[in-house]
Amino acid sequence: MKKTKSSRIIIVLFLLIPVIQLLVFSYIPILSNIYLSFTNYKGVGIPKWIGLKNYERLFTDPQYIMVFKNCLWYMLVAIPQLVFAFVLAIFVNGKFRGLNLFKGVLIIPYLLNGVIVSTIFIIFFNNSGTLNLLLETVGLGQFKQQWLQNLKLVNPSIASISIWRYYGMNFIMFFGALQTIPGDLFEAAAVDGCTKWQEIKYISIPSIRKVLFINILLSVSGSIQVFEIPYIMMNGANGTVTPVIQIQQSAFSENRVGFAAALSILVFVIVVIAVGLQSIFNKKGES
Amino acid sequence: MIKEGKFYKILRYLFLFGACIFVIIPIVPLIYMAFKTGAEYSSTNVLTPPKNWFNSYNFLYAIRVGGLGKALINTAVILSISLTLQILFTTMVSYVLHRFDFRGRKLIMTLFTLTMFIPVVTTQTVVFQIIYRMGLVNKMASVIILYSGVGIIGIYIMFNLLDSISKELDQSALIDGASYFTIYRRIILPLLKPACTTLLILNGIGYYNDFYIPNLYLRKDVQTFTVALYKFFGNMSTPFEIVSAAILLGIIPIGLVYIFLQKYIYYGLAGAIKS
Repeated sequence: MKKTKSSRIIIVLFLLIPVIQLLVFSYIPILSNIYLSFTNYKGVGIPKWIGLKNYERLFTDPQYIMVFKNCLWYMLVAIPQLVFAFVLAIFVNGKFRGLNLFKGVLIIPYLLNGVIVSTIFIIFFNNSGTLNLLLETVGLGQFKQQWLQNLKLVNPSIASISIWRYYGMNFIMFFGALQTIPGDLFEAAAVDGCTKWQEIKYISIPSIRKVLFINILLSVSGSIQVFEIPYIMMNGANGTVTPVIQIQQSAFSENRVGFAAALSILVFVIVVIAVGLQSIFNKKGES
Repeated sequence: MIKEGKFYKILRYLFLFGACIFVIIPIVPLIYMAFKTGAEYSSTNVLTPPKNWFNSYNFLYAIRVGGLGKALINTAVILSISLTLQILFTTMVSYVLHRFDFRGRKLIMTLFTLTMFIPVVTTQTVVFQIIYRMGLVNKMASVIILYSGVGIIGIYIMFNLLDSISKELDQSALIDGASYFTIYRRIILPLLKPACTTLLILNGIGYYNDFYIPNLYLRKDVQTFTVALYKFFGNMSTPFEIVSAAILLGIIPIGLVYIFLQKYIYYGLAGAIKS
């Protein structure tokens, strides 16, 4: 459109507030965090430059190394989560009796908030909870555990909640991708006498590959940002602290804002790598 | 269509039933608990159904003591203001970035796109200080300001639709003497309605369920439903059967939204993810 005075007015008017919000709540904070991460800022007073000390601490103090190690559990459970979501998407894709009912039930976890999910799984993992009761009922009583008190089991236990909570999102993405496969591909395959298994192997799986990769990277950037479940269920106790819980504790309980900033930047870098790979891959797939 | 063999069909049903059980089993004890009396809760195991399915004591108790009603109203206020603002801002930004060519357009578009790389959790140490200096901590305005920001996904959803709205429509309106604002108000905004619905559902669910932001900024009197539920649940003296009842009450709004808007949720999510 032509540049006129009135067009200039509307451009400025319509962009003003959103761009200010963008700068004040995203860009200024991330840039000041980079600066603060090299200081010993306490939340008040003048930040003092301490160079790489915060980062040194992060990479050498076992307490903080553990915080990042905990994320590995969340990345690990992404594997069964993606497999489950993928198989589900394959089976749901198609027309059959009860389709909508299944879809309705399967999406439930996606709609529940962190407090609800935490409560559900406290009941589930409790000593007299659902899991132990089920084990006993099927005759596997000897495998009963104190899932949330045993320091070896607590992290894998609460990490596995992610499977239940987030598979729905992966499922919807896979399902969406399957729906975009052109119908004539299937028709041609049908004419050629292709079986259902061949269809899955040669049509469905290849066309879902791109979405699969995006989902893996989403899981990586999600794992590094885990907060709600360990915070609400455990309050970080029994060695369940994640980077985001640690950021919150350092910044708001211990007033070590500089250190929290360094931790934030580390999380930020990992997310940048994951999301960056994702968009590179996305572009490559298009061209 | 490729014929599905009998074996495939059976396998599908087995798998889907299994998946549904996997989803439902952890929830069942919660539902049972909400209807149990305190004595019943301590004397029965988690998978025993309640004796009386019409026991409303826990629900009434949760409403009376937990301040959940008030929290639910707070959530409604926060959501309606911030979603209205966000959707309005998103349509405005998208209209300008899509229909006008001006210096700095690329830069602004890039700035919005790059927010994908800046997770909320990595900026809050500083954002908290900003909100604090604005004097907004423990006020609804803090959460509203943070929620109403325009996101790149919203812009993409709008762009998808704007691509299909003919530019000649704007041009002819312009020739007829309409101002740019009139074009936005009378032509663009009504046509963007479906995209607005998608965004409304997507972020509506997200914000209703969000815990991180309200827990950080609303620590005292004003609480959202999620935070109130957390406080309620964190208070060890609250009996578990009451917490369960409170949770079931909290699921009702989102359940209703889901039942009525199921179709939009599936396609909205799939659409948003594609773009």
